[in-house]
Amino acid sequence: MITRPKIAYVLDPRFPGGTSSAVAAELECVSQTARVEVHAISTAMFPGQPVAPQLASVLRRLNIPLIWDAAEISGDAVILHNPSCLKFQETLDTTIIAKRLVVVAHENFLRPGGAEAFDVARCLDLIARCSVTLERSIAPISPWNRKTVEQWLLANPNHDIWSVLDWDWFNICAFDRHPPTAFPTDRRGRHSRAGFEKFPQRDVMNLCFPQTAKQNTILGADNFLGEPNTPTYWTLYPFGGVSLAHFFEQIDFFVYFTAATWRESFGRVLAEAVAAGKIAISDVDTAASFDGAVIGASPADVTAIVKGYLTDPDRYQDDVLAGQKKLEQFSSQAFRRAFDAFLMPQTEVST
Amino acid sequence: MILLCSGEVSAKHFDALLMFAALLESCGHNVTIDARYMPEDVLKPQKYEAVPFLVDPEDIGADTILVIGAEAISRESQVILRSLNLGPDASIRAIGCFADYQGEINARNKIADATGRDPTLHNLNGSRTPALLEGACTPLVTRIAAEPEQSAGKLSRVLVYVPCDDLEDQNALNALAATSFSPTLELHVLTNAKGKDLIRRSRHAELSVFGYSELPPADIVNFVDVIAFFGTNVPGERMAALTMAAMGAGKVVIDCTTSSGFANTGAPVIKGPEDISVFSSYLHEVVTRNRLEIGHRTLQSTWLKQFDLTVLERDLEITATSEVSTPRPSQIIFFPTNGNGLGHAQRCALIAEAMPNELNRRFAAFPSCIDMLENRGFECVPMISRSAHHTDEYAADLVNSLRLRNLLRAGDRLVFDGGYVFDSVYRTILSRQLSAVWIRRGLWRPGQINPTALERERAFSQIIVPQEAFAELNADYSTCPRVEKVGPIVRQTTMTNEDRQNLRDRLSVEFDQTVDTLAVTMLGGGVASDRTSQTQLLCSLFEQRPNCLHLIVAWPNARISSGLYGWKNSHVVQTSQTLALCQAADLTVSAVGYNSFHELLYAQVPAILIPQSAPYLDDQERRARAAADRGLAALVAETDLLTLEREVFAFLEGDKAENLRKALGDEVLPALGNQAAAKLIAQGGGQ
Repeated sequence: MITRPKIAYVLDPRFPGGTSSAVAAELECVSQTARVEVHAISTAMFPGQPVAPQLASVLRRLNIPLIWDAAEISGDAVILHNPSCLKFQETLDTTIIAKRLVVVAHENFLRPGGAEAFDVARCLDLIARCSVTLERSIAPISPWNRKTVEQWLLANPNHDIWSVLDWDWFNICAFDRHPPTAFPTDRRGRHSRAGFEKFPQRDVMNLCFPQTAKQNTILGADNFLGEPNTPTYWTLYPFGGVSLAHFFEQIDFFVYFTAATWRESFGRVLAEAVAAGKIAISDVDTAASFDGAVIGASPADVTAIVKGYLTDPDRYQDDVLAGQKKLEQFSSQAFRRAFDAFLMPQTEVST
Repeated sequence: MILLCSGEVSAKHFDALLMFAALLESCGHNVTIDARYMPEDVLKPQKYEAVPFLVDPEDIGADTILVIGAEAISRESQVILRSLNLGPDASIRAIGCFADYQGEINARNKIADATGRDPTLHNLNGSRTPALLEGACTPLVTRIAAEPEQSAGKLSRVLVYVPCDDLEDQNALNALAATSFSPTLELHVLTNAKGKDLIRRSRHAELSVFGYSELPPADIVNFVDVIAFFGTNVPGERMAALTMAAMGAGKVVIDCTTSSGFANTGAPVIKGPEDISVFSSYLHEVVTRNRLEIGHRTLQSTWLKQFDLTVLERDLEITATSEVSTPRPSQIIFFPTNGNGLGHAQRCALIAEAMPNELNRRFAAFPSCIDMLENRGFECVPMISRSAHHTDEYAADLVNSLRLRNLLRAGDRLVFDGGYVFDSVYRTILSRQLSAVWIRRGLWRPGQINPTALERERAFSQIIVPQEAFAELNADYSTCPRVEKVGPIVRQTTMTNEDRQNLRDRLSVEFDQTVDTLAVTMLGGGVASDRTSQTQLLCSLFEQRPNCLHLIVAWPNARISSGLYGWKNSHVVQTSQTLALCQAADLTVSAVGYNSFHELLYAQVPAILIPQSAPYLDDQERRARAAADRGLAALVAETDLLTLEREVFAFLEGDKAENLRKALGDEVLPALGNQAAAKLIAQGGGQ
């Protein structure tokens, strides 16, 4: 008979935001094809914080217990999500025993400009020291993320025990789809956590959300609220201040640029906007993750792009629908296919 | 231009910003602090320290942003950093005590996320041996002098830090007091505000005491050759910064702490006794004779060289950019306080006029006296008077401190005339290391004579005390060796009978009336003492008198009762020619301020004296009584309106005025001190 492989996940489940959402979707998907264990490690990164609600919810639904700080973790494959959560650790008090160990990068190893985004060596070394395995791999989650991983490994050749998976361990984007409006207007918006890395400098914000726009809605604008020089023609909401559905009702164009010194490793929020029936615009590197579903541009080009669609509503609808179609490559089914291929060598036949 | 920012908006970080800004500025850097880093609860001394550096966001034009305390960058600080409108070439440097590489990355990321550009980091932990104080937000670095900056001669200036708790032991205070009596030591105690208060209430109240945060470390260090620290350990960042400044200047630092907190770091300090009672003998036997040699060795310390500011400057790639000051002749700036009248300004003007013309003399003056001074040919830089409309009670003096600071530089001399030495004056003298003179007239009320009022005389190289005309009114308030007494400083004008008649004729024309009787009333501005009743009575008396002109002299800023404007014979006037009016008058009714009194006395003008009595004024009652007891004036108490009426009658209808005039002519008065004071200041004595 065929025994389903045992997959052990290792993560700090208290990570807020998109990473936990992605892992939750992945657990749901992988548990259909493998025996799944989930090991929680309590890192110094999130002391005192609760388990992310989206993870807690999926674990409950799948009836998978969360095992905290186990002395030993084993499986046919061990998948450690988000190694950067170890950046404040001096030790990792566990032993990982597996044929294959995959570290899913999640965070970019390098920032634009080449500076290290976190102490990568510390995190990888901690994992390497506590693992007994035939193969150690790093799984990038997007083309840009892959680039930073490869560049880092190139600059740190003493870490050649790590290989890089040849496929992107992408975030599963299982969002409800909404049709595009037939009558787009210059209503722009963006949504993200309030972190400073998520926002570009003011001059870029001004280009993306100009006074000439009919509406500029910024959700997650905690750091602008109460500031004296914030433009009055921006409608600002703190993170979580309105529902996403309400936010998307107020916009036709999702314009998303980050600090010049930081970049999304995947950009789930862009996929979410496309699924919501919007034209999404971002920087070229971030947009590249989405195979054309997101328009890559410079901030100076945003208004021209918007105007182009306003004069051609049919093209607006066509492009949104085409984008939504392209999101299928980030579906659960797509991930399942990729994961099954990854698992293939591990499946054993017992008698 | 360097803009200093910090990891947090907090009292601790703001204090660190102030100390680092002062250090950088002293080494020639053009440095500012983003005002948004000033927390709400700022101490008064911090406000004065901050004034030269604070800059509002809209005025920021820095090419280098320097973030200190970068090991912990708060969201609030990120908001500030984000809003900086940086030029394309502006660079960002961050200084912090980063525990590890991830700590550096955190700081770099937070600054980069907020500003959109990557900072250069400088880890104060680095490869150095232990710093004086671990985890300090202030970069504990120092300029290192080529030679010890100690005073020459046998007198050693010693500063002793003692925690308040230790001062509660009476023996400790006794030991400090005994040490202060040594003729070869000038002792200052440094403690916190509570400790200072404790000393002021003790029987050793006359000890020179500095509060912990009273002055910037860079200014305190100028007072001393030797610093000793008692207590348990290095007492906080300010004291650590003071110690660094002292070592860098080649002073002697003595570690008397019970933990040897300074010595254990490897810093070039000498270990002293923990017991304060043997400190005096230790100083004499070990330190004072060798202090220069110890200073030399301190400057050679390899430990100290690790904390050389020039190393930090090199690492941060910042170079001193302050323009070299344009050479100009040194100047003497007179700064008269704003009393109730013009007395302080008048006195300063008299001294300035007595000085050689080749000396460059200017005034920093309040608006009330600018006209008078400019009319006498002196250039004035306006100072700001206190106002109830200011939201900060120190607002005016804070601006004045900035103006004085911009006005004066080393080599100039500041002459302050007033009873209370403003913070602006005190701090400017110390920060600019000026030779300063305090003109301090006497006749203080008993409650005004205390060590707190006098302690700021330590900033002055000379204290000039203009004497009262009568010996019993003079007293010594301090034992400071730099006090010089001079004769009364008085304006003198001679007036012939012809001059007198001419003036009366001019007044007759001016006021369009025949002047058979001229009366002058100058009872003050109405602020210190309300004299409306007395003035109204006088108006009433003179209204009944035919051909009588009654001039009521109003000081600048005087409160004038509207009722005074209804009289036919009485007129309110503003003039600086009060003495001439009094000399021409048949009757003078005057308050008894130093200037008015001595002018009348020396000009032999018979007068009715009505002392003002506000608690912050000098003792006018004693001054008036001294004259009245000698038969040189009539004294009328403020409540005695009937006596005032009788005295007016006696002056105008009887022969009292004539009798007084004769007695005044016979009185032998001390020589004037105008020239002597001018000479002392011109010579720059006591430097």
